[in-house]
Amino acid sequence: MMESVLEQHLEDTMKSPGTLGVLCTDQQGLSLGCRGSLSDEHGGAVSVLSKQAASLTRDPTDPTPTVCLESDSGNILIRTHGTITVAVHKMS
Amino acid sequence: MTAALTQGLERIPDQLGYLVISDDGVLASAGELENDEHTAGVVMQMVRTACRFRLRGAAEPPFKRMTVMFDDYVYVVTVSGQKVFVVKRQNIQREPVNV
Repeated sequence: MMESVLEQHLEDTMKSPGTLGVLCTDQQGLSLGCRGSLSDEHGGAVSVLSKQAASLTRDPTDPTPTVCLESDSGNILIRTHGTITVAVHKMS
Repeated sequence: MTAALTQGLERIPDQLGYLVISDDGVLASAGELENDEHTAGVVMQMVRTACRFRLRGAAEPPFKRMTVMFDDYVYVVTVSGQKVFVVKRQNIQREPVNV
């Protein structure tokens, strides 16, 4: 049941204009679901990047940052919400 | 040598500080990032992680620019000529215009 909710969110995210891929991972980098250009193998790097970015601030009240990787193939936006890290690949 | 490296960085609008890093360590630093070895270390780790991030069929490099956005400030990172350039800029949040 919970899985079908996540799958539906992934489908809905892919419908948003300019979206090329989407991925959800847990804190260990295990992919929970993905669509399009992002695949299970990207889970590790996505979760590690988000953790490393959070350690850039020493202020524990700072909310988790958003990481953006910009290239000719588009922008990959990464952000952690609670225990889940979400990556979205969008056309630039 | 250092002046040539940082000439452009000094002129970036809303710049709060910068770092120029190589594999050997920090080459130049200023402002809020002056002698900030912690940030330099974390950014180098992030660059290495981001370089492993490859999309199928995508051209090299995996990124031209990496940004880390906080509420009040943003780190902008680029790699050029074996050096990593990091600039901390004010994050000016633009309010939506209501018409």
